[in-house]
Amino acid sequence: MITSYFIRRALGDLKENGLTHLLSIGTIATAFFLFCSFLLLSVNFDSFLETWEKKVQIILYLKDGLDEKRIVQLKKKLEHDEGIIEVRFISKKDAMDFFRRDLAGYGGVLEGLKEDIFPASLEIKLSETFRTPERIRNLAAQLNTIKEVEEVQYGGVWLERLSLILYILSWAKWVLGGILVLIIISVTANTVRLTLYNKREEIAIMRLVGATETFVKFPFYLEGGLQGLLGAGSSLLLLFFLFYLFSFKVSPYLNLYFGQLHLSFLSFTIIMSILGVGVMSGLLGGLLSLRKAERV
Amino acid sequence: MVQFFQVYKTYPGSIEALADVTFKIEKGEFIFVTGPSGAGKTTLLKLIIRAEKPDRGEILVNGRNVVRLKNSHIHLLRREVGFVFQDFKLLNHKTVYDNISLVLEALGYKMKEIPKRVRQALRIVGLEERVVKQSPLKLSGGEQQRLAIARALVNAPSILLADEPTGNLDPGLKVEILDLLEKVNYLGTTVVVATHDTNLVAKYKKRALPLYRGRLVA
Repeated sequence: MITSYFIRRALGDLKENGLTHLLSIGTIATAFFLFCSFLLLSVNFDSFLETWEKKVQIILYLKDGLDEKRIVQLKKKLEHDEGIIEVRFISKKDAMDFFRRDLAGYGGVLEGLKEDIFPASLEIKLSETFRTPERIRNLAAQLNTIKEVEEVQYGGVWLERLSLILYILSWAKWVLGGILVLIIISVTANTVRLTLYNKREEIAIMRLVGATETFVKFPFYLEGGLQGLLGAGSSLLLLFFLFYLFSFKVSPYLNLYFGQLHLSFLSFTIIMSILGVGVMSGLLGGLLSLRKAERV
Repeated sequence: MVQFFQVYKTYPGSIEALADVTFKIEKGEFIFVTGPSGAGKTTLLKLIIRAEKPDRGEILVNGRNVVRLKNSHIHLLRREVGFVFQDFKLLNHKTVYDNISLVLEALGYKMKEIPKRVRQALRIVGLEERVVKQSPLKLSGGEQQRLAIARALVNAPSILLADEPTGNLDPGLKVEILDLLEKVNYLGTTVVVATHDTNLVAKYKKRALPLYRGRLVA
C-alpha cells in the first residue's frame, strides 16, 4: 500500500508541475540523445573496424624480371613467418584477368591491354592476432625491406584513420557521459527543489502529524529517478527511430561498398545500463536537493 | 501526561521566551495557556511537539522525555499529539477530504480504513458530507477551523494542542470552536489551548497556566 502511495504521489507531483517536469525531461533526453548517438557511432565503428580487420591483407608487388624459382622461394619463406597464415601468388596474367573481370562492363576500354603492365604480386593473409593497425604497419615495414619487393600495400592508412576515429569516439563518449551525468543531476535537483518549495506546506503538515522522514522524502527521490528514466527512455526511443530510418536508407549502400557490413543498434545490456544511469543520476539529483530541505 | 521541569528557552538575540517553567497537565484535562502576545505560549506548545528544543530543563509527554528524544523518534511523539493553528494551515489546492486523508496516508493507514476515519473525524467536528469534495477556500472561517481540528484528531491523538484557535474568528464562532474543543476533551482527549482571550478563559472555567514574559505567574 505504501509503495503504491509513493508511486501515486510521485506521479501526482509530475502531473501537478507538468510543464516544469516536461522541460526537465526534455533537457535530460537531449543530453542523453547526444551521448547515445556517440555511443551508437562508437559501437558501429567498432564493428566496422572489426569487419575491416578481418578482411585486411598485405599485398607485395614484386619487381619485374624475377624468375619463378625465386618467387616460390620467397613465398615459402613468408609462409613460415610469424603472423602469416597464407601467401598467394598472383602472376601478371592473373592480375590482368582479375582486372578484366572486375571491369567487365567496360570491355572496349580494356582492349589492347597487355599483361606486362600489371605487376606480379604476393597476397598475404594474416593471423587474427596480427590484424591490429600497429602490427600490420610493422609487418608491412619489415616486408618492404625485402629486395625483390617493389611496393607494399595494406590499406593501412584507412585502418589507422578508422582506429583514430574510434579512439576519439571512445574518449568523447566518456567525456560526454560525465557531462551528461552532471546535467541530469543538476536538472533533477533543481526540479525537485522547485517541487519541494511548492509543497513546503504539505511537507510541514506531514512532519507535524508524525510522518517519518523516509515517508516525506521518498516520493521526491522517486520523482528524480522517474525523470531520469523518462529522459533516458525517450532519448533511446527517438534514437532508435532515427537509426531505423537511417539504416533503412543507408544499409544497401554500405553492403555495396563494404560487403556484409550491417549497422546495429545498442545492445540490450547497453540500453539497460543507460536507463540505469538515468535512474541513478535522477535519484542523486533528488537526494542533493533534499539534503537542503530543512526540518519543520 | 505533560510535565515541564524548570524549562528555559532563549531565542537568538537573547530573547527569553520561557524561563523556569514547571507545571503538570493530567490525562484528560482541558487547560488554557494564557498571556499576551510574546508571553511564550506558542513556544511552550512547540516544545511539547519538539518543534523547538529547550536550553535547559526536562519535558515529559506521555512518559517520554522529549528533550532527549532522538531526531529519528520525533515522529512517534507527534503521532500522539494533534496540533491546531490560528491560521488553520490547510492545503487549499486539495479537497476537504484530501486534507484529512493526507494525515492517515502519511501515517500508513490502510486504504480501505481511510474513508471511514475521515468521515468519523468530520462528524465529530460537525462538518457536513457536502463539503467533502470542496476546497477549504469555499468554507467559512469557522468551518476551516473545524476542518483543521478534524485533521488534528483523525489519527486519534491523546493530546490536542491548539494555538490561538479562535484568533481569526468572530465572537460567535469563537464559542462554537471552544465548545467543539470541549466536546473533544469530553471524548477523552487532553486539550491544551493557548489564547490571549481572557474573556473566553473566564467563560469556560478551566484550569489556566498564565504566562507573562516567559514565566508562569500565579
